[in-house]
Amino acid sequence: MMDLSEKQWVKHVVFHPFEGFEDMRWKKSGSLKISFFIVFLFFAGNIVSDRLYAFHFWNSYDKLFNIVPYIVKSILLFAVWVIGNWAVCTLFSGEGTLRRICIFSAYSLIPYVASLYLTTILSHFLITDEGVFISCIHYAGVLWSFLLMFNAIKTVHQYSFLKTAAAMLLTVAAMLIMMFLLVLVMSLFQKVGLFIYSIYAELQYRFRA
Amino acid sequence: MRKVIKNILSILTVSAMLSAAPCVSAAEAYDVYSYDRWGEAVPSQAGYTAERSVSGAALGTEDFSGLSDIFRTDSGIFYIVDSGNNRIVVANEKLDKVIRIYDSFEYNGTSLSLESPQSIFVSENGKLYIADTENSRILVSDENGKVELLIEKPESELYSAVTFWPRRIIADDAGYIYAVVDNITSGSVMFDSSGKFSGFYGANRVQQTSEVIKNYFWKLFANETMRKYMTSSVPAAITSFDIDKDGFVYTCNSSLTQELDSIKKVDASGYNLFADINAEFGDKPTADYSEFPQNSYVDIDVNSEGLISCLDYTNGRVFQYDEDCNLLFIFGGKGNQLGTFRQVSAIESSVDNVYVADSQKNTITVFSETSFGKLVHEATRLYNDGYYEEALTPWFEVLKRDGNYRRAYIGIASAYINRGEYEEAMKYAELADSQWRYDRAFEGYREEFISENLSYIVWAVIIFSAAVIFLRRFKKKHKEASGGHEDSASQISSGKKGDDEK
Repeated sequence: MMDLSEKQWVKHVVFHPFEGFEDMRWKKSGSLKISFFIVFLFFAGNIVSDRLYAFHFWNSYDKLFNIVPYIVKSILLFAVWVIGNWAVCTLFSGEGTLRRICIFSAYSLIPYVASLYLTTILSHFLITDEGVFISCIHYAGVLWSFLLMFNAIKTVHQYSFLKTAAAMLLTVAAMLIMMFLLVLVMSLFQKVGLFIYSIYAELQYRFRA
Repeated sequence: MRKVIKNILSILTVSAMLSAAPCVSAAEAYDVYSYDRWGEAVPSQAGYTAERSVSGAALGTEDFSGLSDIFRTDSGIFYIVDSGNNRIVVANEKLDKVIRIYDSFEYNGTSLSLESPQSIFVSENGKLYIADTENSRILVSDENGKVELLIEKPESELYSAVTFWPRRIIADDAGYIYAVVDNITSGSVMFDSSGKFSGFYGANRVQQTSEVIKNYFWKLFANETMRKYMTSSVPAAITSFDIDKDGFVYTCNSSLTQELDSIKKVDASGYNLFADINAEFGDKPTADYSEFPQNSYVDIDVNSEGLISCLDYTNGRVFQYDEDCNLLFIFGGKGNQLGTFRQVSAIESSVDNVYVADSQKNTITVFSETSFGKLVHEATRLYNDGYYEEALTPWFEVLKRDGNYRRAYIGIASAYINRGEYEEAMKYAELADSQWRYDRAFEGYREEFISENLSYIVWAVIIFSAAVIFLRRFKKKHKEASGGHEDSASQISSGKKGDDEK
């Protein structure tokens, strides 16, 4: 029973929010390749919805294109979520491995990613008065993804309902701490770089004189 | 050899830097800029150019001292308040000759002199309204200097200030007198035509900052004595005002902390008509051309065509807007050259010229319209009168001279919407950063597109659905032929039960 190809598993999981992940876990399925592809689509969707949205809904800053914020908002955010969740749940006797958490989380992003593209396309067909359809799709995507994410975490660690909620909250806290440390490390490296550069400049002045 | 290369490189970099510098107009002593659709300052064409500056000596009289206000009547006569010399100088239209000097007034047989007057207003029937500030009174006199009415500090419980120092003064057609008075934050003080105090008019709202909310929160728990020592939240006092030909009053304030109601247009009931249109005034925090991009407006003027000119004290700049609060021109600045100021005090404008008084230089600077300014004003006039299409030609001419000029794109987009050329309108509305215009144009464009291509759309839908139905049937047959083993997805959709039965 349930002999599905990897592609069919994606469809099964998305359309069966409450049992899909259990099935997939039981069958030890889910592909890392597909999950990376979904995260890439998430990243691309961020750019698409920011740049190609119809003008009457969203005025994008076309003067400058900086890819870093998009990476931070998608790939980095996802990576921090996965690592944070893994770190927290290992301590709370979760059963998920890093690989599993990554796959399950990525699969549950699908409705949100789809809503990113769908709303962008729809914005070119609707006027502002009909914008309620767009926000409907957007919220549906967010809610659906949240539901999937909750069940994904619940399944991957074999938690109870309450424990999952607590784990997710703690994960968010862990994400904040990691972000903070990242910023700290980056500024530290910047300082070190500046220090080395000033030594170099100093030496140069000496040798010139 | 290395030295030669180095020299060439340095010359190249210097020339590159020079060509990159914004040298749009060489004639002006200040940066000429405008704001683009993202609210960033960009170089622009000058709409006004400083023509000359007029001192007291140039008019043929004693030099001014502490020039505090100027007033231009509809016939073009200037009334100049020379507060340091306690007099009012009347000059002709060209600002080159003194017509008359008022230094004392006659009241009930006695002679009254002024003490540091700050403001003057002249009504259409020739009455002079003078804010005689340090004498704490307002004088209403006729043309010959005979005082008809003398207003002193109102004896009313509503008037809470200890002093009565009127700063600015205007009067409306019904004879009501409005005065901006020091230390009064509840609007301008209003008197009826007989000089009786009749309340306040045109107060600003209090901006909801975190400070205000915090104070409100603590006051819920504080007792009487504690409350006495707490700061109360008051709105920014208005610093100046002007009245247009329809009787609307325009006010400005010089608060650096409160953005709300910095410029407003007040109707008879005291309601701010600019509150609903999300208008933004003055320099934005991103302004590249201002060291301190903070606005504190000392004076405002509305000319007979409805153009609003605001005078910013911090940077000595004039911001000119049209009726709908679209930015037209920014000019002036700090400095000692012609066209820049040390301490601006008052502004007046005619159809072609803008006059700015400086209370430290003690001169009146005359800015005259450039040909670019003339073009923009002509287009604005046509646009505001509803001749959108007639305004198209001047707007395109404006764009030829300055492709960054945002107001032109707004005008063109509106004209194309009016004309029903929706695709063009969408293009220009986007360039104008006007989302509601884009929306309207897009609605028209979509309607047009659907009605033109309805038959194609219907055919496309029919063919598509036919293809889907056909494909499904084909798949089903194919599956039945091969025994239904391949499509496991259908097993899932039929549920787990089916699987268990197997």
